[in-house]
Amino acid sequence: MNQTLVSYLSQYEFYDILLGLFGKNEGFLAFTIYLLFTLAIVGLCATIGGLGTYAERKISADIQQRVGPNRVGPYGILQFLADGVKMITKEDVMPFTADKFLFYLAPMLALIGVFATLAVLPWSSGFIMADLNVGIFYLIAISSLVGVSVFLGGYASNSKWSMLGGLRGASQIISYEIPVTISVLSITLLAGGMSFGTILSHQQGTPINWFLFHNPFAFIAFFVYFIGALAETNRAPFDLPEAESELVSGYHTEYTGMRFGFFALAEYIEVFVVCGVGAALFLGGGNLPFNISIDIIPLQLVQVTVFMAKALLLYYVVIWVRWTFPRLRVDQLMSICWKYLTPIAIFNLVGNAVWMVMFNGKSIADLVFGGH
Amino acid sequence: MFAQVLFLMSAFLTIGCAIAVMVTKNIMHSCIFLLGSLIGVAGLYATLGADFVAVTQIMVYVGGIVILMLFAVMLTGGKDFVSRAQNLLGLAPAMGNKWTYGTGLFVGAVFLLTNVSLLMNVSKAYPVKNFGNEFPSTVSAIGKLLVKEHVLAFELSSVLLLGALVGAAIIARPRKQ
Amino acid sequence: MTPAQIDGLMPIVMLMGIAVLMFTGGHFLSLLLAPKKPSHLKSTPYECGELPVGSAWSAFNVRFYVVGLIFIIFDVESVLMFPIASVFRELNDMGEGLYVLEIFLSFISILVMGIAYCWKKGDLDWVKSYQVSLNNNK
Repeated sequence: MNQTLVSYLSQYEFYDILLGLFGKNEGFLAFTIYLLFTLAIVGLCATIGGLGTYAERKISADIQQRVGPNRVGPYGILQFLADGVKMITKEDVMPFTADKFLFYLAPMLALIGVFATLAVLPWSSGFIMADLNVGIFYLIAISSLVGVSVFLGGYASNSKWSMLGGLRGASQIISYEIPVTISVLSITLLAGGMSFGTILSHQQGTPINWFLFHNPFAFIAFFVYFIGALAETNRAPFDLPEAESELVSGYHTEYTGMRFGFFALAEYIEVFVVCGVGAALFLGGGNLPFNISIDIIPLQLVQVTVFMAKALLLYYVVIWVRWTFPRLRVDQLMSICWKYLTPIAIFNLVGNAVWMVMFNGKSIADLVFGGH
Repeated sequence: MFAQVLFLMSAFLTIGCAIAVMVTKNIMHSCIFLLGSLIGVAGLYATLGADFVAVTQIMVYVGGIVILMLFAVMLTGGKDFVSRAQNLLGLAPAMGNKWTYGTGLFVGAVFLLTNVSLLMNVSKAYPVKNFGNEFPSTVSAIGKLLVKEHVLAFELSSVLLLGALVGAAIIARPRKQ
Repeated sequence: MTPAQIDGLMPIVMLMGIAVLMFTGGHFLSLLLAPKKPSHLKSTPYECGELPVGSAWSAFNVRFYVVGLIFIIFDVESVLMFPIASVFRELNDMGEGLYVLEIFLSFISILVMGIAYCWKKGDLDWVKSYQVSLNNNK
């Protein structure tokens, strides 16, 4: 366990050749490899976040029988680049009553919180930057920086709409962290470890081995996780912090230009991260539906594709939900979290624990077909 | 090499932000500097190999306590959160005279000396082990300790948290007149 | 933790650094490219065309604070449950599953008692507590 990208790559021959090129300096080589992959992953995620805005508009247009963006590039696919250029060239307006320091800091905190989660995201069994022993726990913990940034964004603007949005946002994010954490806890219980490597190694093979189908409680836990994740990323139907019909634009009402762009980028990347975690925890991550004993780089790339496909499928569901369901009221939001999701999540946790002891950790598939 | 870099970064973040918490005149800003300081402490734990404690630090303090402090500051709802400087140096918003500062300095010095002498003895008695290439996961060690040796403490902590939950609910409840 | 494992934390620091660099870089670009024509009206807080009255920084409802308090307690509970959950499978394979299950269930049942109390007393309600406080003020 506690495998890192470098320790994974070091089993290949080209690592030794690279090591020779770097004058046997392992630390420097590790630094270079990490830097290259970090830049690649940030670039990839920024593209996914950008394409997410495009997908959001296109799918919403599809649902509402419109055409959607279709001018920039083929089918309007370059729309996000045009948006980015527009964000940069817009004037930067800050309310004169604002708290300048926090006004600058808030989008940066959101960006830091979201980017830091990318370090443990399992793209495939080998391509995971750092498979920490506390992987999923770390991911939940560091993403709570986004809650702080939402509150600060609302507070620093010193506008009434922003203040209300920021308060609602912070209390919503921390409330829904509870059912999400407890659902993750039941998966930790089933896998016997918090690192993504351990969690994925228990889900190898056909889809019947996924934790989604491990037992009925895990099946419910997936939906609790997904609903909680929707709320944690401020997506509709839980987008009360930025409800445009009542709060103008919520905590980023006063944000313009580049800073607004970074808030939006952080939000879309966070949605992707949350979907990726859902795919890894419940849907088998990058595991291929058959067992292969050889481990080569092209196969890893196939795994990355499988992982991306699952995560993007969930991403599609997130957008689909947004444009299909009406927004909740604040009191409904809180009662769903504390009176429905949290008790259900705790019930699932107890159910999973009892299942583990009763059937000795076997899944339904193992019991039916006999195995392990 | 990276261990030293991580340690230096965390130490500078911790100390720099802690000084900023004292010096800044805006209570919101000092909350945010406190957040930076707490993240720095998490980094220090990480350099010691205590991965679970480091993440717990982030989870509880950054995700919970700092947000609660921000809420608490908003609860007071003062018109301006900036207070005037009233101390000797004219920097921090603290109140005090030379006696309070002198006492503080004295107590701090005593604490520092006791801690240093304690730590010196401890580090002599328990030298840092070289774990080689295999470092056992702290998580499973903590888990086994919690269910075996310290099971009573684990269960009692749950009772303590129950008390905290009930107390929080009662204090925050609107009172009957 | 050995140096090799500490190196595994390198990407986390790098990603945070990239976030900061990206933010400052974007800011710098917008400083170069964006127009700058400040005016007093432009920089008033947005209030649908009205001039804002007073500051937005005012005391707010206590229920946000209650949510924060309950959250912290659940947070600490989940932090305590994570290590147990990680060793659950291992101990279950060693045949101590029932014992760990007992400990786990008694821990959770005390937590559930807390929720049940708060639920019964109406601390989890969003609207009701507000109405109660309104009636009390009369």
